[in-house]
Amino acid sequence: MSVLKVRVDLDKCIGAGHCVLRAPTIFDQRDDGMVILLDDSPTPELHAAVHKAADLCPSQAITIEVIP
Amino acid sequence: MYVLRNHYHIWMSLTAAPPLRFPFRRVDPLQPPPQYGEARATQPIVPVKLWNGRRAWLLTRYDDVRSVVTDARFSGEFANPDFPTVTEARVVVDKEERAFVGMDNPRHDHYRRMFTKEFSTRRMMALRPKMAAIANRLIDLLTAQPQPADLVATIAVPFPSLVMCDLVGSPYEDHPFIIECAAGRHGLLQTPAQAAQKARELADYFLRLIRRKERAPGDDLVSRVIEEHVRPGNLSREDFAEIGAMILRAGHDTTTNMIGLGTLILLNHPEQAAAVRDEPDLVPSAVEELLRYISPVQFSPRRVAMEDVAIGDVVIRRGDGVFALNPAANRDPDVFPDPDTFDVRRDASHHVAFGFGIHQCLGQILARMELQVLFPLLLRRLPNLRVAASEGEIRFKDDMQIYGVHNLPVAW
Repeated sequence: MSVLKVRVDLDKCIGAGHCVLRAPTIFDQRDDGMVILLDDSPTPELHAAVHKAADLCPSQAITIEVIP
Repeated sequence: MYVLRNHYHIWMSLTAAPPLRFPFRRVDPLQPPPQYGEARATQPIVPVKLWNGRRAWLLTRYDDVRSVVTDARFSGEFANPDFPTVTEARVVVDKEERAFVGMDNPRHDHYRRMFTKEFSTRRMMALRPKMAAIANRLIDLLTAQPQPADLVATIAVPFPSLVMCDLVGSPYEDHPFIIECAAGRHGLLQTPAQAAQKARELADYFLRLIRRKERAPGDDLVSRVIEEHVRPGNLSREDFAEIGAMILRAGHDTTTNMIGLGTLILLNHPEQAAAVRDEPDLVPSAVEELLRYISPVQFSPRRVAMEDVAIGDVVIRRGDGVFALNPAANRDPDVFPDPDTFDVRRDASHHVAFGFGIHQCLGQILARMELQVLFPLLLRRLPNLRVAASEGEIRFKDDMQIYGVHNLPVAW
């Protein structure tokens, strides 16, 4: 089973909020709307949701490293 | 094969017909113009001629759309004199646009970030009970009318208006004026002077609203932004007024069209409408599919090339305009199999109906929540809801930049 390492880039984030909608236990938004990473190593059952969040992020602020 | 392909291109360029005039007419009012699909199959990045004789390029593939709108070699500055337009009126509107919708970075993010918290996902989700109360009141008003009644006038127009009033703090009695300003600016047939006038009137209106909220603040977007950004001197009243006008316009026109046309499409697919009514878990994906299928902001996003850019075997020249057509991308069969089939059970959530890149719609979570609340409520409360229009009685918005229906006679 691979392990995911999630990173967020606040310089890119525009607070679109897809990530919070897709994976609310991994991502949140600060008071100002910018992303907060709650957990950078999601458990396997959340991998699909985290990949989807990264794909949907319009400013491409989420990167995922897959560690085999 | 490679040689053959090359020869084919030489042959094509020698015999190429003059570029088509854009925009195209729809043949089927519920489908995008057939030229999008034809281009995607043969020449997916296709040159067209605009109203002013300028050349622009249409992007019809999903991947091209997403890559161009996230590529800094393409500018989204409305003020650029080469920016592509579908009407002469739009040139004037673009030139006058002062909100971040028409700015590149870093200015775009600077202004947009002052507003992201107002549209945060959790804040929008928290509005759902209020939205449901508004929807219920409007459904009561619909059923109090003799049948058939117009669902657009009774629900599709007032529902987003009432939600926006509550969020922004603009009095409800002002909303017919706001709708008139949005329509006056978003039409395809108005004169440049009319469009500029309607854009101006709405910004002036918002400036007066700011001054009123400075004297008498409330629990609303205008009052909060005054407190956080205008008073400390980060945002001028004039800049806020331009952004506010953009928010009001965008919040009305688009959701209204999704409700009108969305209801029509659901009623055309009764089994799927029943599933949306009876299976709450299906509602989010049904809304994404409606957004993909309708893609009401039909001539967007637009960009202008800041240098020569090669995409595959096409070179887009510096100064050329590009329409990264979201209705075409959303029907790309490589991404959405059997794309012309409406299917509420597919995962359509990666559609680009709200655009993509930094300019993706600020109010998209708001719009999603509005639609997720309204459609199942409407279908549950009126299980016999049906279209009650004779052939040709539904007027489609061929005269508007944002597509939808002007009316939808229904019975229940």
